[in-house]
Amino acid sequence: MIYTGQFLIIFSLLNNFISLLIFFYNLKTKSLLIEKIFLFLTRLNTLLIFLAFLFLMYLYIISDFRNINVFFNSHIDKPLIYKISGVWGNHEGSLLLWILIMSIYTFVFSFNRSLDNKTKNLTIFFQTTMILGFLVFMLLTSNPFIVNLSNISQGMGLNPILQDPALAIHPPLLYFGYVGYSLILSFALAGLINNKIEISWIKTAKKYSMFCWLMLTFGITAGSYWAYYELGWGGWWFWDPVENASLMPWLAGIALVHSLQIANNNTQIKKWVIFLSILCFSLSLFGTFLVRSGVLMSVHAFANDSYRGIFILIIFFIVTGFSFLIFLIKTNTIEKEPSVLVFNKFTALIINNIVMTIACFTVMLGTIYPILLETVTNERITVGAPYFNSTVVPIVLPGLLLMAIAPTLAWKNNKLNEKKSYLTIFLLIIFLLLATYMFSDQNLWGLIGISVGIWIIIASIIQLFKKNAKKQIRLYGGLISHIGVGILILGITISSIWQKEFIVNIEVGEEIIVNNYKLKFENLKESKDQNYVSLKSKFIISNKTNKIGEIEAEKRYYPVSKTVTTEAGILHQIQRDIYVVLGENLNNEWLIKVYFNPFISFIWIGAFIMAIGGFISLGRK
Amino acid sequence: MKNIFNKIPLLFTLFLFCVFLIFLLQDKNPAHPPSALLNKEIPRFQAEDLIKNNFIIDEKILYGKKTLINFFASWCSPCKVEHPMLIEISERHSDILLIGINHKDKKSDALNFLKIGNPYEHIAVDSEGSIAMNFGVFGLPETFITNEKGKIIFSHIGPITEKIYNEKIKNLL
Repeated sequence: MIYTGQFLIIFSLLNNFISLLIFFYNLKTKSLLIEKIFLFLTRLNTLLIFLAFLFLMYLYIISDFRNINVFFNSHIDKPLIYKISGVWGNHEGSLLLWILIMSIYTFVFSFNRSLDNKTKNLTIFFQTTMILGFLVFMLLTSNPFIVNLSNISQGMGLNPILQDPALAIHPPLLYFGYVGYSLILSFALAGLINNKIEISWIKTAKKYSMFCWLMLTFGITAGSYWAYYELGWGGWWFWDPVENASLMPWLAGIALVHSLQIANNNTQIKKWVIFLSILCFSLSLFGTFLVRSGVLMSVHAFANDSYRGIFILIIFFIVTGFSFLIFLIKTNTIEKEPSVLVFNKFTALIINNIVMTIACFTVMLGTIYPILLETVTNERITVGAPYFNSTVVPIVLPGLLLMAIAPTLAWKNNKLNEKKSYLTIFLLIIFLLLATYMFSDQNLWGLIGISVGIWIIIASIIQLFKKNAKKQIRLYGGLISHIGVGILILGITISSIWQKEFIVNIEVGEEIIVNNYKLKFENLKESKDQNYVSLKSKFIISNKTNKIGEIEAEKRYYPVSKTVTTEAGILHQIQRDIYVVLGENLNNEWLIKVYFNPFISFIWIGAFIMAIGGFISLGRK
Repeated sequence: MKNIFNKIPLLFTLFLFCVFLIFLLQDKNPAHPPSALLNKEIPRFQAEDLIKNNFIIDEKILYGKKTLINFFASWCSPCKVEHPMLIEISERHSDILLIGINHKDKKSDALNFLKIGNPYEHIAVDSEGSIAMNFGVFGLPETFITNEKGKIIFSHIGPITEKIYNEKIKNLL
C-alpha cells in the first residue's frame, strides 16, 4: 500500500515512454487508430500522475511518517489545511505538483478540435518528452515517495512561516502560470516545425497564454500579500531573486499576450511571438533553477543541493537550447519590414513589447549579475532594490503612458479616435503635475506615478463607456486589465513613497500618539493553538475624537521547529493600512513598529482587477 | 546580418548554461560567503590565555610569523571532528603559529575538550564572543590564516578536512 506512489510514478514513466514510441511509429503509418491510442495514453498519464499526487496528499492527511517526505515536512498536530498544503511546501512534493500541472495542461490541450492533427500531436509529443524528463529528474534526485519502514510516530513539521492560507494557494496558482508556459513552448515548436502558425494557432495560443499569465498574476499577488503581512517588514515586494524569477516570465507573458494581437498577418511578428513563447517557459525553468539549486540566497531557501541544481540546469539547457535551435533553423524565411513608423495600434503594441522585454532582461541582469561576477572574479556583491527601482521604473514608464490610449488607436491608419479629449486630459494632468511640483515639496516620482496611474484609469474608463462600445466589446477585457494596472500603479507609488514608519516603546495599558493617531496598548494575551503558542497584543487606534479600529499583532512560537513567527496586525482601510508589528520585550516595555501604508490595498485590488480583465478576454470568441 | 538576431537566443542560453555550470562545479555555497576580511589587516583583539594564567594575547603576537587562527568551542561537534586535523597540521608545520580562540565556552569544558590533544600555542578566551564579532565569524569552526605582516590570506568556514587541507591550506603554510 505504501508503495502505491512509486508504482504510479513508474507506471507513468513507462506510459510516457510508450507514448513517445507510438508517436514515432505513427510518423510513418499515420494510422488514425494509433493516433487515438496516443491521445488515450496521454490522458491516462494525467490520471496516473493525479492519482500519485492524491496518494501523496493522502499520506500527508493521515500523517503516515513511513514516507520520508511526510516525515520531514509534516506533523500530527498540524491543522488539516497545512497538512494538505505541506504536499507542495517542499521541494519533492512541489516537483510532483509541477509534473501534475504540466500533464493537466496536456490533458486539456488533447481535447482541442480547432487545430490540425499534426500540430496537435507534435505539441503533445513535446509535452510528453518534457514530462518524461521531469519524471526522471524526480525519481533520480527528488522522489517524494521514499519509504522508511521503521516505526516513527512524529514528523519534523512544516516550516511555520509557510503555514499560512495565502501561501497554501500561492504555489499552485504560480505553477499554473509557470508550468502552463511549457505547453505554449511545445505548441510554438510544433507550429514552427509544421510551418503552421496560422489563425487557429494564434487563437489557441491567445487563450493559453492569457490563462497562464492571469494565473501567474494571481500567484504573484498571493505571494506578495503573504510577504506583506507575514514577514513583518511593512513592505510587499523585496526584489528577492525568487520574486524576480516569477516576475521575469510575467513580464515576458505580458509581451506575449500583446504581441499575439498583432501576429495575424506579419511574418516578422510571428517570429517574435514564437521567440516570446519559447522565452516564457525558458524563464520559468531558469527561475526554477535559481530557486532550487541554491545558487542564490533567498527567503525561499528550498533545496540546496548542487547535484539537483546541475540536473535542472541541464533540463533548462536542453529545453531552451533545443527550442532556440529550432527557432534558428526554422525562421530563416521571408523578411518584410512592418510599418512601425506610423502611430497606430500596431506601433503601440510593438512599443509595449519592447518595453516589457527590456524590463524583463533588466530584472534578469540584476538577478544573475552577482553570480556572473562571482564566477569570473570571485568577488561577491549584492544587487538590491535601488538598482531595480531605478532601472525598471523609468523603462516601463513610456509603455504605461501609451497604454492608456493604445486600445483606441486604429489598426491601419494614423487616426486616434477622439484625439481632442485625450489630449485635453493629458495636458491637464501634466499641468496639474507641474503646478503641484512647483508649489509644493512633494516627491517628483510620486507625482509622476500618481499622474500616470490616473491618466491610465481615466483614459481606459472613457473608452469603456464610449458610445460605440458595442463595436469594441472584445476590448473590454483588455481595458479592465488596464484599469487594474492604473490602480496598481497608484498603490505602488503612494504606498512606497508616502509610507511612514515609527518604532516605539510601549507598556501594556499605555497610550501614545503616533502620526496624529492615538494608539493604546489594550492588552496582551497568551494562548495555545493546535500547533503553536501565541502571544496576542491588542491595540486600539483612534483619531482625535473617534475610535477607528482595533489591531491584533501576534507572535507565534512553534515548538516543533522552535521558531518564532510574527503576524503583523493590520487595520485595512481603502485609503490606508495601519500595520503593527510586535517586537521584543525590554523590561515591561514592548518594542513595536507601526507603519502607515497609504493606499497599499490598491496594489492587491489592482492586481486582482488585472487578472479579472484577463479572464474576461478569455471568454471572447 | 539577419541570422545574428536568430542566433543570439541560442548563444545566450549556452552562455548562461556555462556560467552556471562553472558556478555549480566550483561548489560555492552562498550560505558561506567569503570573509570580508580577506587581504585585510587582522582586527585588533586582546584576551587572556586559557592555559597560561595572567598571559594576555593580542594581535601583535602574530606579526612576523605565519599564523593559523582557529575559532572553536567545546560545545561544537564539528570542532571535535576537525581537531585531529589541527593536531596533524601543528605537527607537519612546526614553524607556524597556531592560535585557538575559544568561543563562548566554559573554561572547564574547554580544558576538558583539549584533553584529546592541544594543537594550539596560545588559546584566547572569547567568552563574550567579541573577538568572533570583529572577525565576522559566521559559524564554528572557522579558520583564518595570516601572513607575516598580519594580513589575512585565507579564511574557511566549517571543519578543516584532509581534502581542504590538501587543496587549499597546504600551499599557504
